Amino acid sequence: MNLSQYMVIGRYIPGNSYIHLLDARSKLIFVFLYIFLVFLTNSILGYLILLSFIIIGILISKIPISYYVKGIMPIFLIILFTIILHLTTNKAGDLVFQWKWIEIYSQGIEQAVFITLRLLILVIIASMLTLTTSPIDLTMGLERILNPLKRVNLPIHELALMMSISLRFIPTLVDEADKIMKAQKARGANFETGPIHKRVINMIAIIIPLFISAFKRADELAIAMESRGYRGGEGRTRLRVSVFTWRDLLLLLIFSVLLITILSIRGL
Amino acid sequence: MKIKAKNLTFVASIASIYVVLTVLFAPISYGWIQFRVSEALTILPFFTPLAIPGLTIGVLIANIFSQAGIPDMIFGPLATLIAAIMTSKIKNKWLVPIPPILVNAIIIGIMLGVLFSSEISIPLAILWVGVGEFGVLYLLGMPLLLALEKRKDIFEKYND
Repeated sequence: MNLSQYMVIGRYIPGNSYIHLLDARSKLIFVFLYIFLVFLTNSILGYLILLSFIIIGILISKIPISYYVKGIMPIFLIILFTIILHLTTNKAGDLVFQWKWIEIYSQGIEQAVFITLRLLILVIIASMLTLTTSPIDLTMGLERILNPLKRVNLPIHELALMMSISLRFIPTLVDEADKIMKAQKARGANFETGPIHKRVINMIAIIIPLFISAFKRADELAIAMESRGYRGGEGRTRLRVSVFTWRDLLLLLIFSVLLITILSIRGL
Repeated sequence: MKIKAKNLTFVASIASIYVVLTVLFAPISYGWIQFRVSEALTILPFFTPLAIPGLTIGVLIANIFSQAGIPDMIFGPLATLIAAIMTSKIKNKWLVPIPPILVNAIIIGIMLGVLFSSEISIPLAILWVGVGEFGVLYLLGMPLLLALEKRKDIFEKYND
């Protein structure tokens, strides 16, 4: 299995769908507010509305669904783990199922379903953001949103750039970690058996090479940036400057409708 | 403030290593009984102050996947930032793991205790997070620190 295949967040697929053409600022703000909405929701109906909205988004983005499915794979274990945790530890509500010492209560099931939906929505929306927005647009969007903070002397340009470079590095480093793991296994390293403390210490054999290779890549990137004349944010101009258009206005309207719907469901 | 390109990409690479290690060992990285392998990296500020923004950004990105959601995306990086600043001031290497253990146990413990109040009490959440951090930092963080000590040269060129 090639791990990097499953690391969708941080990857960009060019295109010209409605979502691709949105201003990066609108997308960033929308994703942030959407995550907020996800946590505001407390009923199954609310989650279904949010989920169906995401599915429409997937269809509009014209990005193969397989990408999103792959994006869910890495968190599949987290979901499974949380489901088991909630089913076994939450003892509120009615007793639904009992087998020997395993007792499952209705609240536990409810919580497990909620958390699963929540995680699915979060991962899909985060993947959708990076899949449809180029790293350059993402950086610029972030920078322009945070611009007011420049007044308090925060290096916003640099922070935004660091953030998008690290997002871009993630799939590359997952790939690298995978290679290192295989190489170390070929040398006889053991990550799968033995007592837990030994296994943990063995991980150093992955972490140190990962450091060296990541730092090397970072250096190469810095040289590439400098040789192209990167001098920091001051006086930097852009080839393409995105502007707020009817598309962004439409997104705002859609979000308002969504917000009102979720709030009214909550109030019921 | 002017930041050199090589320092900038260096910070970004630390952040992504954090995210990669968190996600690779995902199921044990989140929740109140957490054993986040990537937390071993919190020893890095001992070697270079550039690890402070690096770890903070890393936690911010990694916590997008947290079930605790927005609070975890605010308090996680905040706890890391405070701990990393404290770590960078420490001179004795054996005490390096202390700030991340204490700061995370208190901030993240209280946060998880409040968020999942139906499942766990605050003192217990503090204890669990603390135990997890203690385990990672002394089992993995400390050996990592000792191993990196021999390769200090990796960090030196960024420290000017």
